Amino acid sequence: MNSGAATAVTTAHLENGLEVVMSPERSSPTVGVGVFYRVGFRLEPEGRTGFAHLFEHLMFQGTTKVPKPQFGNLINSAGGLLNGFTRHDYTAYFEILPTSALEMALFLEAERMGRLDINAGTLRNQLQVVEEEVRVNVLNQPYGGFSWLWLAQHAFARFPNNHNFYGEFADLEAASVDDAVEFYRSWYGPGNASLVLVGDFDPGAALQLVERHFGPIAPRPEPPEPDLAEPLPAGRREHRHLDPLAPTPQVAVGYPTAPFGSEDHLPLALAARILTDGRASWLQRTLVREREVLLHVAGGPLYPIGDSFEFRGPALFTFEATPREGVETGDAVLALDQELARLVAEGPSEEELRRARRRELARHHATTDSRLGRLTTLGVMAAVHRQPELVDQLPQRFAEVTPAQVAEAAGRWLLPEHSTVLHWLPGAGGTGR
Amino acid sequence: MTGAGSSEGIPQPGAVPNLRLGRVHRSLLANGAEVMVVPRRTVPRVELRVSVPAGSAAGESAAVAELLSMGIPLGTRELDQEQLAERLQDLGGALQVHQDLDRLTISAAALSEAESELYQLVAALVRGPEFPRDDLLIERAKLVEGLRSARATPHFPAHEALGELVYGRHPYGRREPTEGEVARTGRQALQELHRRTFTPSAAQITVVGDVDPRATLRRVRAAFSAWDGPRRGWKAPRVRATIHADLLFLERPGSVQTVVVAASSGPTLGEPGHIAFSLATAVLGGGFTSRMMANLREDKGYTYSPHARVESHGRDGLASASMEVRTEVTAAALAELRHELARLATVAVPPDELATTRSYLEGARLVTLQTQAGLASALAQVRGLGLDHRYLEQYQMELERCTAEDVMEAARKYLAPTRMTTVLVGDASALPGLGALAPVRRRRPRGV
Repeated sequence: MNSGAATAVTTAHLENGLEVVMSPERSSPTVGVGVFYRVGFRLEPEGRTGFAHLFEHLMFQGTTKVPKPQFGNLINSAGGLLNGFTRHDYTAYFEILPTSALEMALFLEAERMGRLDINAGTLRNQLQVVEEEVRVNVLNQPYGGFSWLWLAQHAFARFPNNHNFYGEFADLEAASVDDAVEFYRSWYGPGNASLVLVGDFDPGAALQLVERHFGPIAPRPEPPEPDLAEPLPAGRREHRHLDPLAPTPQVAVGYPTAPFGSEDHLPLALAARILTDGRASWLQRTLVREREVLLHVAGGPLYPIGDSFEFRGPALFTFEATPREGVETGDAVLALDQELARLVAEGPSEEELRRARRRELARHHATTDSRLGRLTTLGVMAAVHRQPELVDQLPQRFAEVTPAQVAEAAGRWLLPEHSTVLHWLPGAGGTGR
Repeated sequence: MTGAGSSEGIPQPGAVPNLRLGRVHRSLLANGAEVMVVPRRTVPRVELRVSVPAGSAAGESAAVAELLSMGIPLGTRELDQEQLAERLQDLGGALQVHQDLDRLTISAAALSEAESELYQLVAALVRGPEFPRDDLLIERAKLVEGLRSARATPHFPAHEALGELVYGRHPYGRREPTEGEVARTGRQALQELHRRTFTPSAAQITVVGDVDPRATLRRVRAAFSAWDGPRRGWKAPRVRATIHADLLFLERPGSVQTVVVAASSGPTLGEPGHIAFSLATAVLGGGFTSRMMANLREDKGYTYSPHARVESHGRDGLASASMEVRTEVTAAALAELRHELARLATVAVPPDELATTRSYLEGARLVTLQTQAGLASALAQVRGLGLDHRYLEQYQMELERCTAEDVMEAARKYLAPTRMTTVLVGDASALPGLGALAPVRRRRPRGV
């Protein structure tokens, strides 16, 4: 238990193509097991919006050997927690459980990778559950799904990036067992996944268990690299969405952001911190306190359901803002434009950048301290970017970014002419121009 | 690691290991504040909690209490909110203020190399928050906007009404401020509440992280020993909870789902019977394999995340079972929930199910308490309720001792359908059938 020592990350591959990423940390007797599949919202078939997430639900419905209620019961009875989540470019399944249950978790994950029980009964049941999930999170809430669900539908031109990720009910209800079998066959093979282990285990012994349970799964054809490319918008686009439940107007502005790994990527990640993170941030100071234009402002790449690292295709750098009473959403956007132009012209101060780096470092440590945090950051870097070792190098990479780089990156990406504005207003009617 | 598989080929895990806190270093400051330091050297950070009896029920209105907590990060006379936020960022730090009904807790963290400065910053805030008038106006506007948005959700009116029904005129029963109360609350009211409730003799200071405990105790003492305040802390009066047998239906026209919440008062953490009460509630609605999940979601497909939990307040434990169901199955879903409540009170939980639920609770605690942040918050909570910190370890043994008979008795006493107070929020088209379960009272939700 060395103070502050980075935990080593090792990687191995099974013959069937499964990538295994291990990062032991043995200070408490629990392990985290995660399987990250390289498929998310973007890759669902046309006419089947919402399918990636619906399929995530089917992965909890048992296997031919371990039927439906037993799957979760086994994890809970071992003292374990389980869950899953679907994002733009990956879908993750995980268990956090006492060390002695590691092999059971590996067995169960191998079961659902190799022998998922897909049938009409569970499909029908989970379709209903997902529709209730959409009602609770979107249809029955003020501002339901606001920027994460609706902004990209206006900002992007092509189906992978601009459809309803939660799913149109007609599409969800059209989903068949055949669709599910095909999706499973195409995207859920061992070669399209990263298995991540963190916590209290011995890497050598764990790898043998992984081989025992995942080794027998037959390889499936490697899916082709998807074409996610988007044209850059020419000119700002404005849309209005009327929400009968919303008591006050809000506004979201999205800018296509720098691709992962490009020279502007890390400078923009720090720009997000400098602009919106906490009371000392640029926009809190200028627009909330000095000019009193906004009450709230938040944002960043893939905000609010991701961060600067959770994407490999086109993504938005989004701001969400609540104007002060009496301020029009349009005026709030103009004020935001002015501050972003000032960031481009003046750049952040050396001090502001230093504080942003300190926050990133502290965040890195806090994430590492949590089994789920460590598992997720490793899984994203491994499955989405195939660079798991990058996780522990980020604080150093952030330290090398200069104020000029932040200003230049903002000047290339956070431009009004590339942006999409969504005015979210009280009233009945949905979305229009 | 277990190697051998069972006859079915499913690898069998061992028992859930016991939670071990390790050495807890405690000290009492001259002003009466208690300090607890627990080294946990996983990452070079330190987590601090300062908890005082200034919860949302402590003020003359919920607005005063809530604005008190929103006013803490606004800084001191020497350090305005921006300077404070910048200093915290320098330390790799963050600061949040949480409030439950009884206590206000300042949660702060920093890189461990900067621990001394963190303690000094937080101590200055605890002793002399400035509540600057201009900044307070902005916080008031934020609170009003937050209340309007919250009132537009179906959950807020449900919980507001439940609090009023169960606790009546007790301070626990008025949880949410009105806009009028917010508008009437100024700097003086906050200063007055701060003077009355920031009591060092009732305060808990908790540090968990990569620290040398002796040096840390010294640093905490240096930072907090000048803190002075009233001798006695605020404490909520005793609770006499009320049961309402009829169903309160709050109309929310056009709602595509009905929010259903059923609640009941029982023993709080540390009181006799609490463990059985919690275990019964977990069998009903804790985790993936609970009865609400199995019946209402995985069998019927009525709802996405049905669940039940116990909130432990200083004077009461409140169990609540809640779900959001599509409008047309509202009565059918409530009938199933009441069936599950009745079954829990009349049929012993089978041994396998009881063992699974126990392990689930134990494992969830093990995972929560292994991070610096999770352990710091849990220690602050149990000491805030007046329990020994070792209670965190004893909890598991008590859970193991709890039998199926104990669970049934607790369910009968606290969770039977006749004990529950139920509120529904939805469109009036959900009403047919509800009258078959209990008398229904209808009204519009309270406005702002």
